[in-house]
Amino acid sequence: MKRAVNIGVLFSCSGMYAAMSRASLDGTLLGVQEVNADPNNTLTFNVIERDPEGRLDRYAPLCREMLREFDVKHIFGCITSASRKEVIPELERFDGILWYMVPYEGFEASERVAYMHSCPNQHLLPLLDWSLENLGKRAYLAGSNYIWGWEMARIARERVAASGGLVLGDRYVAVGDVDIDHIVAEIIRLKPNFILNSLIGESSYVFLSTLRDARQKHGLTDELPVLSCNFTECEIGAAGAAAEGLIAAGPWFASDIGHPGSFHEIARQSVHELASLLQTHENAQQCSLAELISVAAGADYISRINPSHLHANRPVKIVQLEGKRFVTLAEHGERVADPYLTHKTALAQSRPRLRVVS
Amino acid sequence: MSHIRTDHLGGAIAYLLHKPHPSMAGLVRQLQVIGLSVHEVWPELPEAAMSADFIFYDADMGHDEQFPWPAGKSPVPMIALVGSEAPGRLNWALSIGAHSQLLKPVTDKGVYAALIVARSNFDRSVSSEALIADLQYRLSARQTIVQAVVLLTLRGKSEAEAYDMLRQTAMAWRVTIETAAERLVANYSNIEGTTNGRRIDLA
Repeated sequence: MKRAVNIGVLFSCSGMYAAMSRASLDGTLLGVQEVNADPNNTLTFNVIERDPEGRLDRYAPLCREMLREFDVKHIFGCITSASRKEVIPELERFDGILWYMVPYEGFEASERVAYMHSCPNQHLLPLLDWSLENLGKRAYLAGSNYIWGWEMARIARERVAASGGLVLGDRYVAVGDVDIDHIVAEIIRLKPNFILNSLIGESSYVFLSTLRDARQKHGLTDELPVLSCNFTECEIGAAGAAAEGLIAAGPWFASDIGHPGSFHEIARQSVHELASLLQTHENAQQCSLAELISVAAGADYISRINPSHLHANRPVKIVQLEGKRFVTLAEHGERVADPYLTHKTALAQSRPRLRVVS
Repeated sequence: MSHIRTDHLGGAIAYLLHKPHPSMAGLVRQLQVIGLSVHEVWPELPEAAMSADFIFYDADMGHDEQFPWPAGKSPVPMIALVGSEAPGRLNWALSIGAHSQLLKPVTDKGVYAALIVARSNFDRSVSSEALIADLQYRLSARQTIVQAVVLLTLRGKSEAEAYDMLRQTAMAWRVTIETAAERLVANYSNIEGTTNGRRIDLA
């Protein structure tokens, strides 16, 4: 008789993040299906699904409801950092664990969150290092006006400066805003070696198409490459042909056209990870995440989640969109996450001399 | 004073002055995650803490004698671990010199911000203290400048000319105007002292 475990799923399938939520949700459900179908597993998952409908204030009550009323301990969900911050107090109060499965900007290490995708030393820094070496040292930064856009730009400014490069411009637009022409005009005028695009959703799609038109108009078709740490397969359809040539970074990219992509795959893997951890001993359901990982290690299952900061070890791929699929340009082996960018491995040898405050 | 950037805490050293308590494990964990090495000590703060990067101290059980420096004169950014919010304890925590605080029970939240805020407040207080010391010196030197100008007017210079001369002397000697004035006055006093109070013509 298999042990049945309730798990929560919390994604907004409407609103700004619907496409990303859909990819993560489908990946989670596929993972559950695979776990349940595997005869070697000693447990099955029952999914309790809730949809905050893109409203930030719905996350906490729905999270609480799942934790309190459905005997849920593990919740798979949240796309934005803001929504993750909403549910953490509920996880603390009602002893829950969030499986957060999309890239984020770092500077957090809650004992109640499994950070399964990647943080800046696993996406932005390797992407910038590759670009500074292969594209040039003159950067332009564009981002949506919220924490992701700001923090990507802040880290990028530091990294570009450390490598002796120059940030030519740094622009933000409100989330959802599509008034992009002035940014593209400035890019055409400044001709940076690359543009870090940390715009999200519609702003990003309009930016990509406006830039493509401007490139053609000014005979710069093969120039002004665009980088992104948040663009994945699930946005290829929405962005259309204008996204061709975009260079992205992350732990996993699909090699075949039409695969739901990185968010889907990492979600699927995360469900398997939980199943593996829970199977290592009988009372695993009561354990904290750190305990789960250490008990599992005792039972010879080495989790990819780092036991101290609970971020997954991940490889890094630098990829480029060609014919609606990502082609690998460069890759690195597994990298331990460095959520606070304080470890020496995170900022390579090119770090500027430390400031002396007297 | 500090040898790390405010946004770069890897390898920094923190002393945690708190009675051993299970609730401190969360703080230690978070500091280690951020990249610091942590020394838990109680009840004495060792001399080595003088060269640490941060000191966390218990605002509930702490007392002046734990710190090898006068209240408010810590050579290191200080973070108060506040349990009781009774004004008496808060007063003590402030008088010993809190650069930032964390509320007990300490969780994994707020630790990074507390480090950054403490570092920034500490740096600011170090630079304002240096500025205040400089301004106090200049203030106390004002009388010396007046004396030097008076001495120079004895050569028949106008006050403006005397002041200008003092300024040019300072420039020539590559010292501040206060130091130049001090030297002129000291020089005159020495000569005066050896000549039974008879006035000497500086020219």
